[in-house]
Amino acid sequence: MAEELQDQEHQHQIYLQPIPVRIWHWLNAFGIVTLTVSGAQIRFPEYITLLGSYKSAIYLHNTAGFVVAISFSLWFFYYTFVARTMANLYVPKVEDLKSGILRQVKFYFLTYFLGWENPHHPTPESKFNPMQKSVYLAIMFVMMPLVSLSGIFLTNVDPLRGLIVMVGGLKLLAGLHFLLACSLIAFLPTHVYLATLGRTPTEHIKTMWTGWEDEEEHGEETETGDLVASR
Amino acid sequence: MNRNYNLNSLWLSLLIMVLIVPLSAGAMEMDDCLGCHSDAEEVGEELFIDEDKFTHTVHAEMGCVTCHESVTDEHPDDGEAVTNTACLDCHEELGSEYMATTHAENATCSDCHNPHQVHGLKAVSRQDMNQQCSQCHEGSDVLESHTGWLPQADLHLAKLPCITCHTSAENYEIVLNITHKEKTTVAGSYPLSKYADLKEYSGEKEIQSLIDINGDDHISLAELRTFNRNPAYANLHLSGTMVPGEVSHDLSTLDNRYDCTFCHASGPGSMQTSFLAFPTEDGAYRRMTVDEGAMLDTLYGTPNFYMTGSTRSASMNIIGLIIICGGFIMPIGHGTLRFLTRKNRKH
Ligand code: HEC
Ligand code: HEC
Ligand code: HEC
Ligand code: HEC
Ligand code: HEC
Ligand code: HEC
Ligand code: HEC
Ligand code: HEM
Repeated sequence: MAEELQDQEHQHQIYLQPIPVRIWHWLNAFGIVTLTVSGAQIRFPEYITLLGSYKSAIYLHNTAGFVVAISFSLWFFYYTFVARTMANLYVPKVEDLKSGILRQVKFYFLTYFLGWENPHHPTPESKFNPMQKSVYLAIMFVMMPLVSLSGIFLTNVDPLRGLIVMVGGLKLLAGLHFLLACSLIAFLPTHVYLATLGRTPTEHIKTMWTGWEDEEEHGEETETGDLVASR
Repeated sequence: MNRNYNLNSLWLSLLIMVLIVPLSAGAMEMDDCLGCHSDAEEVGEELFIDEDKFTHTVHAEMGCVTCHESVTDEHPDDGEAVTNTACLDCHEELGSEYMATTHAENATCSDCHNPHQVHGLKAVSRQDMNQQCSQCHEGSDVLESHTGWLPQADLHLAKLPCITCHTSAENYEIVLNITHKEKTTVAGSYPLSKYADLKEYSGEKEIQSLIDINGDDHISLAELRTFNRNPAYANLHLSGTMVPGEVSHDLSTLDNRYDCTFCHASGPGSMQTSFLAFPTEDGAYRRMTVDEGAMLDTLYGTPNFYMTGSTRSASMNIIGLIIICGGFIMPIGHGTLRFLTRKNRKH
């Protein structure tokens, strides 16, 4: 099906984001925004009353948390068992750590301004540049699981009391949840901004909606570029 | 005018003493009554009065006959019924407030209070209070009806006195109770500690010294932190609850309990006044004041008392704000350079 389409209207495009990934991404995005707004009201109820009563903020937060946790599982299941590209996509390789990150940082903070090309060219097998890999790894394998776990503890305080005391107390748990939430919130503007660094500001964002990304115009680089060499 | 009144009352009390002293010398004293009534074998379970508990109450200061006026020297041989003075005679304000509620048809004063074991609000635990209600309101029914609208109803019902929500008290005080780990489940449960439980830790010393190290009858934030970090007390934990500032008996349930604002949205300002309740030998409690604002300490003040919305710590907010601001460095800094160098990228 994908190949067929590629033949017709997607001649110069690659199918980068399969449907499960796109569903997960947008569920997650809306979920996180909802969690941010409701979480803000839960923590600062005297100042923030966007969602009406305190109770509705709590119910909404708990529901959105549930949705995000489920969509996280969907994401994890898809990459690990269906596409089987989890390790390849998300875990940085030795090469990436030694030179890849540096090269990417150099691009974003120096050569980008000089008008050079992005040294990384996304393909379905290697979607993320080394810098993205490291950040996504921290977020998807450390922060998301921890924020969900602390959230699950906070929704079951009485039954899990003994465990909560063991990990250092309710205050520590809520503090952890709050700071992790702040980190995820901080990731948002950076994430959205970086997404506008394509050839046109909306290029990457469109890809996340349709699944298709335009192939590089200077074809020879894609084939012989450092990306292939680095694998 | 004032002096006149004082003189009058002085004469009056002298007169009363002259009249009463010889009379009561003949009548039975509290000790006589207790001679029979504190012995369950003598009078039976129904008429048994727990002497230890009674003598520590304020009611004991009045003696038995004040409330059982009709008792004669021949009691119990005279077979006469003994009268009980109505609570309302002495507790007019709280009493009439309660009698005006519809709940007065469901429960009398003595259904909730044993007149021989009364304690003030400050001398009882949340469990003692809820014990009164659970005689008629079965725990599982209450849990079921509250689960419908109250998230984590189990947590709230275990933590809070029913009357914090079911009276129109306008403010509350935070009360910390000491709990200890019991190995009932893998992770353990934390029932309220009794005097004897804590005596195991304090040994020779007073149990207050576990937390009030300098013995000044006040608990500072530093003392709280020391207690919470002391590995010798790893199995002791402070559990926080909210008790009405003063007792009301109207049993009304205000909307701010229903929409959670009374407790969670009242802001850190409402978390200032707090006490630590030490169990006493006779099963009651004694409160000690705690530093203002100790509940808002970031981590070690009260690691196991946290309420979303009102116990948030200011330093945590600042760290959070810095993290979030960090997220804007890239868009703003990079974005500016990107704008300035936009010509370089026109191919
Ligand atoms: C010699 C033992 C004895 C002493 C002393 C004694 N009682 Fe009693 N009391 C009894 C017994 C036995 C009964 C049960 C009598 C009955 O069922 O008729 C009783 C019954 C009562 C009752 C319940 C009566 C009812 O109608 O339910 C009260 C109240 C009471 N006593 C109060 C007192 C007070 C107050 C004193 C001291 C002033 C006192 N008793 C001293 C043995 C004693
Ligand atoms: C503050 C008033 C008060 C005082 C003081 C008091 N009683 Fe009572 N007592 C009552 C009331 C009210 C009742 C009826 C309780 C009920 O209706 O269940 C009662 C009931 C009793 C009963 C019946 C059994 C029961 O527990 O219901 C006995 C026996 C009794 N009192 C003995 C004593 C003795 C002995 C003393 C002194 C040591 C004493 N009371 C002091 C108010 C008092
Ligand atoms: C003869 C007068 C009198 C009667 C009758 C009486 N009380 Fe009291 N009661 C007092 C006094 C005096 C105090 C101490 C001052 C205060 O708290 O009002 C007190 C205190 C209390 C307290 C608080 C105890 C404390 O340590 O602060 C309770 C609860 C109480 N009474 C309940 C009752 C109940 C229930 C009844 C009826 C069964 C009752 N009283 C009957 C005089 C009485
Ligand atoms: C539905 C249960 C219930 C009923 C009925 C009830 N009370 Fe109470 N009362 C409580 C609770 C709970 C407290 C707070 C804890 C405590 O002191 O025992 C309390 C406290 C009190 C206090 C102590 C107030 C203080 O400042 O410490 C007095 C006095 C009192 N009640 C009197 C009465 C009188 C008089 C009646 C009957 C007219 C009555 N109560 C009926 C539940 C009840
Ligand atoms: C002697 C029995 C008894 C005791 C003790 C008792 N209740 Fe009740 N209560 C009733 C009965 C009976 C009803 C009416 C039926 C129902 O709603 O369950 C009732 C109703 C209520 C209601 C609903 C009132 C309404 O208007 O809908 C509340 C709230 C309540 N009780 C709270 C309490 C609290 C809080 C305590 C303890 C401080 C308490 N009760 C102690 C018997 C009792
Ligand atoms: C967090 C506050 C809160 C606490 C704690 C709480 N209640 Fe309630 N309760 C409420 C509110 C609010 C309602 C009214 C709910 C509604 O209108 O649907 C209610 C309703 C009730 C009712 C009437 C509905 C029914 O179940 O028949 C009873 C009885 C009752 N509560 C008893 C208790 C008892 C007993 C306790 C203590 C074990 C308790 N409540 C603790 C807030 C509370
Ligand atoms: C009478 C005061 C009171 C009211 C009213 C109240 N709560 Fe709570 N709430 C508490 C206490 C106390 C805790 C437990 C704190 C602890 O365990 O240290 C708690 C805990 C919680 C928690 C668990 C997370 C945390 O903060 O520890 C949630 C969620 C919560 N409440 C939601 C609500 C909602 C929603 C409402 C209104 C429907 C509500 N509460 C009404 C006192 C209250
Ligand atoms: C799966 C994920 C999550 C779950 C299950 C969850 C659950 C919870 C729970 C249970 C609370 C306590 C109040 C309540 O019951 O609502 C809470 C508070 C909060 N949550 Fe979450 N949450 C999750 C994710 C997030 C995310 C992603 C954010 C923001 C990006 C966030 C922000 C907050 C904030 C700010 C608070 C207030 C904390 C405080 O007062 O200390 N949460 N969350």
